[in-house]
Amino acid sequence: MYYWKKLGKVFSPQDVTGRSWLREFAQAPATLVFDDFVRCYFSCRPPADAHGQYVSFSAYVDLDRADLFKVRAVSQQPILTLGGLGHFDEFGTYPVSVIRNDGEIRAYYAGWTRCESVPFNVAIGMATSSDGGITFSKAGDGPVLPYSVDEPYVMSGPKIRRFNDTWYLWYIAGRKWKVVDGRAEPVYKIRMASSPDGIAWTRMNKDLIPSRVEEDEAQASPDVFFANGRYHMFFCYRYSTHYRGRENGYRIGYASSTNLTDWLRDDSKAGIDVSAEGWDAEMISYPHVFALDGRTYMAYLGNQVGRHGFGLAELNGTLE
Amino acid sequence: MKWKKLGKIFDPTQHRLPCNCVQFAQSPQALVFDDFVRIYFSTREVDQRNGKYLSHIAFVDMHKDLREVIRVSDQPVIPLGALGCFDEHGIFPMNVLRHDGLVYGYTCGWNRRVSVSVDTAIGLAISRDDGLSFQRIGDGPVLAASLHEPCLVGDGFVKVIGGVFHMWYIFGTGWKRFAEDAPPDRTYKIGHALSADGVNWTKEEARQIIANRLGADESQALPTVIELAGRYHMFFCFRQSFDFRKNAGRGYRIGHASSTDLANWTRDDEHPLLDVTAGDWDSDMLCYPHVFESDGQVYLLYNGNDFGRYGFGLAMLEQ
Repeated sequence: MYYWKKLGKVFSPQDVTGRSWLREFAQAPATLVFDDFVRCYFSCRPPADAHGQYVSFSAYVDLDRADLFKVRAVSQQPILTLGGLGHFDEFGTYPVSVIRNDGEIRAYYAGWTRCESVPFNVAIGMATSSDGGITFSKAGDGPVLPYSVDEPYVMSGPKIRRFNDTWYLWYIAGRKWKVVDGRAEPVYKIRMASSPDGIAWTRMNKDLIPSRVEEDEAQASPDVFFANGRYHMFFCYRYSTHYRGRENGYRIGYASSTNLTDWLRDDSKAGIDVSAEGWDAEMISYPHVFALDGRTYMAYLGNQVGRHGFGLAELNGTLE
Repeated sequence: MKWKKLGKIFDPTQHRLPCNCVQFAQSPQALVFDDFVRIYFSTREVDQRNGKYLSHIAFVDMHKDLREVIRVSDQPVIPLGALGCFDEHGIFPMNVLRHDGLVYGYTCGWNRRVSVSVDTAIGLAISRDDGLSFQRIGDGPVLAASLHEPCLVGDGFVKVIGGVFHMWYIFGTGWKRFAEDAPPDRTYKIGHALSADGVNWTKEEARQIIANRLGADESQALPTVIELAGRYHMFFCFRQSFDFRKNAGRGYRIGHASSTDLANWTRDDEHPLLDVTAGDWDSDMLCYPHVFESDGQVYLLYNGNDFGRYGFGLAMLEQ
């Protein structure tokens, strides 16, 4: 058995100054470990425009490896530019997941465009950094994982991993747009694709995680971590309606697998829940698990899906 | 190659159309039966929510002389896509072919965007009733934007050659604002993809197979391919990417290229075989060609002025 011992909020975007594009939100943390710091990528937003609409950028914060609560640096600029006119990532690059590959760093990111009948659509792009993850250049103007027959829209939340020389991408795909109080809300499910090179992907074309709280449960942030002979997936899920508050908002779920394709969901093993009060009392979401110096941590978002930053928890016990 | 124009053969304003459509019969595509020819086309309904258009696929059955109308479909052959889907705001065009006793329909689905007017992708729907109605194989597209084809994948034309599915289609190379007070305009080029089953496609990924004649800002659309005497002939339409709607000199014309290996295409439309006719229904524009064979005769369906608002016409290959 195990549980996640909460360590508190580690990064607040509101504390950062001098960056007009980083005003609030630090969403979907994803780590890359360096010799003496941990680079933690996240997605942020400048203030909304006159119509209340946001664009989102991705950036990073470097945390001291010896003391993760010590911020050493924040990126001077977004790690990715927004896409050009009419491109899939014209209005946002969020979230991002990174991996080392042949001396470079590769990022998979979700690109956002704005639509007329629904508020947005999302597809997954790829970019590469040769300066240690400070800036990334896109592999192309279009997506590496676009919409397809059984995944018709909202391809988002990529998590890139490599196991046994195969690239794996866990992500979410939209299942339906549900009109709630006159507003189109996306329902999405956790999916997976594999690839020999990270570019040509074969989709499994199935929902990996059965829905639990309702048929239209939305699932996100499928973060896969290997430990003790088993693959552990932490993800988040929410109700399809009225999910912006405590009652129907995001919680963190858990599933495990021995073969990467068949997953057994058991949220009772997630080992983390909302707090009674404080920055993560309404919701917890976007888990990311990483190992560092003999310990295992989970970075995650609290209230308002990371508007005020992300926190850390430390594994107490053994993932098995 | 010599074409004889047979004139306009279908005027949508003279018929009752489904979905309250009153104008437009765009991108005609033929499905030949023993004793008639079914010609699918895209027609437009006004979207009551905002005055924009919604394109639907309907058909007209014509006698084999391609002069006399037998009937016009009283409903679209496929409903538009669901909320948020790639084909929510229109299907235009749809390419049909027979395969394994079914009729495959490759749709070009339209969905509206905010910073630019639209994006498109190619879907597949299958008919089990000889083309009266089509059912999608899924809510999403079989061919969409990809790494080097960033937008506007559409206009698929599919042929099975030697057991392999070939698709010629268009991909957007980008949107550009050509004048300060003009909305963004798009440019697209013709590409090629292959498939073993017609469902899973491998693109040549942004390889433009037809050379530009009007420069980088030439848009090429709606490829259609036929084999004649051991040579593959492609017809398509092309225009300037800007100021092409009202300016006849910059509007669509029909282009041609040929190939013996399906890989290398030689374009030769400097002296067009089919050109505008002054004072006629196709005086300003020629677009959306579709080549097909019926009873040993080769025909070309196409639209004339105003992108087919008032119908389509026919030309016949004489030699």
